[in-house]
Amino acid sequence: MASSEPASAVVHLAFPPEPALLGTVRLVVGIVARKAGVDEEGVEDLKVAVSETCAVAVGDLTWAGLSTPIELDLVEEPGRLGVEVRDRAPAGEHASSMPEDGEVDDRQFGLALVGALVDGLHSTTLEGGGHSTRFWLRRGREELPPPRA
Amino acid sequence: MDLDLNVRKEGDHAVLGVGGEIDVYTAPKLREKLIELVSDGEYHLVVDLEKVDFLDSTGLGVLVGGLKRVRNHDGSLQLVCTQEKILKIFRITGLTKVFPIHSSVAEAISDSAE
Repeated sequence: MASSEPASAVVHLAFPPEPALLGTVRLVVGIVARKAGVDEEGVEDLKVAVSETCAVAVGDLTWAGLSTPIELDLVEEPGRLGVEVRDRAPAGEHASSMPEDGEVDDRQFGLALVGALVDGLHSTTLEGGGHSTRFWLRRGREELPPPRA
Repeated sequence: MDLDLNVRKEGDHAVLGVGGEIDVYTAPKLREKLIELVSDGEYHLVVDLEKVDFLDSTGLGVLVGGLKRVRNHDGSLQLVCTQEKILKIFRITGLTKVFPIHSSVAEAISDSAE
C-alpha cells in the first residue's frame, strides 16, 4: 500500500575505522532492520551490504592514515529502509588493489556484492573530502510509493 | 567477535571446520590457517562452513587464495555449506562455478576422491 508518511526513525552511528567494530555495526543493523519490518533474507542482505561498505571506508581511512569516524544512517522511509555511509577519506585515496598473493581484489569484490544485494546504490564525493554511499532495501512486501519528484 | 578454527584429518583430507563470522577483521586468521596447512603438506582440503554466521568479500578472497595455493600442488579445496544466506554470497559472485560446494563433509571427501 502506498503511503505518504514522512521519513522517520533515523538511527545514526558514528564509529572509528576499526575492523573489530564491524561485527557490532552488523548487530545494530540487524536489530534496526528487523524492527523496521525487513524480512530475514533482507536483514542478511543488508548486513552484508553495510558491512562491505563500511569495510571499504575502514580501508580507505586506514590507507590515508586517518582515524576520523565513519558515519552510518539507517532511515525508515515509506516502504523501505534507507542507508547512508559517510567517511572522510580523501578522494582517490583508497586501499587498493594489492590483494594478498593469489587472492582477489576485496574492494572491487565487495562493491560488486553491495550492488547485487541492495537497490539504488549511489556513491558521491563529499565537499571537503570523503565519500557518501547510499542504498536502500525494501521493507516487507508492500508496494513502494512512486519516487519523489 | 572471533573465528573458531579446528582441523582434523579424514584419510588424505584435512577438514577445516570454521565457526563464527568471517570478515575483514577475522579473515587474516583463516588465511594464516590455510597457508599453514598447505605449508604442512596438506593439499586436499575440505573447509566446513556450516557454523559460519557471516561471510564477506574478504573471506571469499581468502578462500580463493587457498584454492589457488592447493592447486599449485595439484590439490583440491572443497566447501561444505547448506546455509542459504552463505550460499547466496557464492552464487552472486559466481564462485559456485569455482568451488565445489557440498552438503556434508562425507560428500565432499567422496567427490574429491573421484
